[in-house]
Amino acid sequence: MSDLGFPWKDLTRRKFQTGLAVAGLTVSTATTVFLVAFGESLGFSVTLLAGGGFTTGFSYVFSGFILVVSFLGFLAGVSVTSFLVSTAMAERVRDVGVMKATGSTAETAFSYFLTELSIVVFTSCTVGTLLGVLAQKACVSLLNLLGFQVSQKPLNLWVLLIIFVAFALASHVLGVRPIKRATKVKTAEALSPIFSLEKTPQPLRTTPSRLGLTFKIAYRSLLRRRSATLRAIACLSVVLTLTTVATVGGAVANQTTQSYAERAIGRNVILIGHPDLTEQYASFLARAFEEAEETKPIDLLDPKYLINESLISELNSLLGDGRVDPRLVLATTVHEVPGIIIDPEEPGGYIIIGDERSHEALVLGVDPGRVVNDWLTLGRFLNETDEYTAVIGDSLATENFQNPQKQNVKILGEDFEIAGVCLDPLNKGYVAYVPLETLSILVNRTGYNLLFLRIDPSERLEAVADIEGVLSGTGLEFLELNGVLDKQLDFLNSLWSMVMFLPLLSLVTAVLCLLSYTMLSVTGEQRELGIMRALGAKPRTILKIVLTETGLLVLVSGAIGITAGTLITWLFLIPEPVIPPLSLALTFGWLLLALVVISLTSLYPAVRVAKQPVAKIVSEPP
Amino acid sequence: MAKMRERVVFASSLCKEYRIGDVVIEALKNLDLEVGKGEFVSLYGPSGAGKTTLLNLVGGLDKPTSGRIIVFDQDLGACDEDFLAAFRATHVGFVFQSYNLISTLTALENIAFPMELSEWPEERVQKRSEKLLKTVGLSHRADHLPAQLSGGEQQRVAFARALANDPPLILVDEPTGNLDLETGLEIVRILEKLKAGGKTVIAATHDERIEQLADRTLRMQNGRIAAADE
Repeated sequence: MSDLGFPWKDLTRRKFQTGLAVAGLTVSTATTVFLVAFGESLGFSVTLLAGGGFTTGFSYVFSGFILVVSFLGFLAGVSVTSFLVSTAMAERVRDVGVMKATGSTAETAFSYFLTELSIVVFTSCTVGTLLGVLAQKACVSLLNLLGFQVSQKPLNLWVLLIIFVAFALASHVLGVRPIKRATKVKTAEALSPIFSLEKTPQPLRTTPSRLGLTFKIAYRSLLRRRSATLRAIACLSVVLTLTTVATVGGAVANQTTQSYAERAIGRNVILIGHPDLTEQYASFLARAFEEAEETKPIDLLDPKYLINESLISELNSLLGDGRVDPRLVLATTVHEVPGIIIDPEEPGGYIIIGDERSHEALVLGVDPGRVVNDWLTLGRFLNETDEYTAVIGDSLATENFQNPQKQNVKILGEDFEIAGVCLDPLNKGYVAYVPLETLSILVNRTGYNLLFLRIDPSERLEAVADIEGVLSGTGLEFLELNGVLDKQLDFLNSLWSMVMFLPLLSLVTAVLCLLSYTMLSVTGEQRELGIMRALGAKPRTILKIVLTETGLLVLVSGAIGITAGTLITWLFLIPEPVIPPLSLALTFGWLLLALVVISLTSLYPAVRVAKQPVAKIVSEPP
Repeated sequence: MAKMRERVVFASSLCKEYRIGDVVIEALKNLDLEVGKGEFVSLYGPSGAGKTTLLNLVGGLDKPTSGRIIVFDQDLGACDEDFLAAFRATHVGFVFQSYNLISTLTALENIAFPMELSEWPEERVQKRSEKLLKTVGLSHRADHLPAQLSGGEQQRVAFARALANDPPLILVDEPTGNLDLETGLEIVRILEKLKAGGKTVIAATHDERIEQLADRTLRMQNGRIAAADE
């Protein structure tokens, strides 16, 4: 037989166990490859750098999510592999004994099983990588089909190679240990019917007898296979952490990023301006997430774009005071001004920060008392007493400033103190908001070129009709920003659904993991379960025992996994999370339902044993 | 004699085949048997003669391929698994050659197991388990797990467990097969007590001491009862 002959035949003969191992690692590899490749195609990379697709604020949430979920996917993959190899070797220790008894050395046995591991790992990693790439291509195509513009960027083969190698290497490193352990068992011990790799030498007997017979037996079985139980708990916990981050984290991140966009763009806001300007502004907004076509640059300060003050008075009298937010928008280069901060390492010392970088940005003069938006802002937004103060967009802050809140920004030759950094999809976050009066003086223009109106949604039709009436004959047009906002929210929703989908397959790995544990448990306990039936236990009693055992495992792992996943989501992933109670309750509800389903599906081996003729089980030698 | 007593076991044209791939093994061939209440029947014969298969069919652990097996007026071949489980719990006590104790339960808990399955009150379970353990002389080993007991002790616990629900029929498969002579004697004494107590016992054995206890000894060969010594 060739070197591959025995391992290959052995794997194909044990289709179910081989299938479990291949499926577990394939799903994990595919998840990681998909997330990283999908992230790359959307323009942010796992290195947490803004890649040009999103504003850095959105990119931060997405990249953070992808990084954490990819890492958890990696951990889940290798821990599932390690666990499955351990359970497989626990079942194969007698085969190892037979091999050694018939003349094989421990090294030969080790190399056979290592070859099996390598076949499983390389097959799974290859299939997983291909599936991940295909899923990424499919999702990008689907986004385009849905009307969003996302290009199929060439895959970064180095990243794929690194993921492949990381999975293959880690799976080998963790898988080799149980193989070594099994092949090192003395031949006589390995052949002994009472020897087990997984059983603790002295069965433990902490007694929760009062909880009933089923619980007592299930609990003690778990304790007896302590090392396998602990490995199963560790493995399931990682998988359930991944699932929780993917579902709960995904749901919260989806709501939160949608809320960021809604706060920045504004709900029920109508934009009024010259058609050239409204088109330009819509294009600046559309660039937030998609690859919108560049519009022809125009001089935003052209006097023909300025809006007459009397129009504002008319709109105010029509809609009520405080509903109109006039702005003066221009495009210019803004510069980083070095700042001086206290040297944290040398008392009394100072250090200079900043590189005098510059970048093209939109500068918006706003009346702080009348702004209709409510950006997520680090620091504060402008107030009415501010003169040379600015709030800058997230991308401008992270790309052009070292410590924005300790620095100034130079706009049109003047220094502005940076009061805050806002998360703004407009012009991909390359924006600066300054007091309207100051900007008017600097550009020597009196007036505004854009108006933003917040309308009451219940009076929308009347308001739109009134606005149409007011604008007729002025050469201005209006644009309801709800359309732009909804498209962006749809895009975010589609994106999160896709990003959340594949990690949800981690539930499949949880099922595989538990199935494997139940197989080990039921195979190990098959005889005893048969004895119980011979003594009068009904098949459903056997199922109850196994279900209690797996239920306990899932309960403990679920408690660890869901807590860890929730903490990761809340503490590290999402700043100012928006937690919609109903959808969160639903998500947790689904998660709990998933745990129940996981427990139930793992009953398959138990059902098999419960259906076997009792006589066959008890008549076999122990 | 069987015909004089109330009938407990009645087997007629009993056949049992096992299929391993394409090979069919006939474990029992048209076997007829009657066992009366309180009778002690021993079965002997070479390995593969069908002794264990017969015990399994009588105990409702398996179903015949053809023929009828009626135990306590129940046609076991026609019963579903749930009924058979309840039947085993209440009517039959099994003692296996390899003890077959549940490794995660203590000696006392192993004895209590069939009673707990039958949902006896907790206090009654406790009392009876302790009493049975005392009967087999292992009160001092109540909290020991099977792995901490010797072979003989495990077999005594297995006997105590077989008696837990006070079943009228005891099926014993090579009870001394794994024990040394002296330990085997303890088991023989327990069987003596069972006989004296009026239990119906069917024992598959090669141990002459047990055969001597029997009212009837049936020699089995090739799935049939080859001879009967009364």
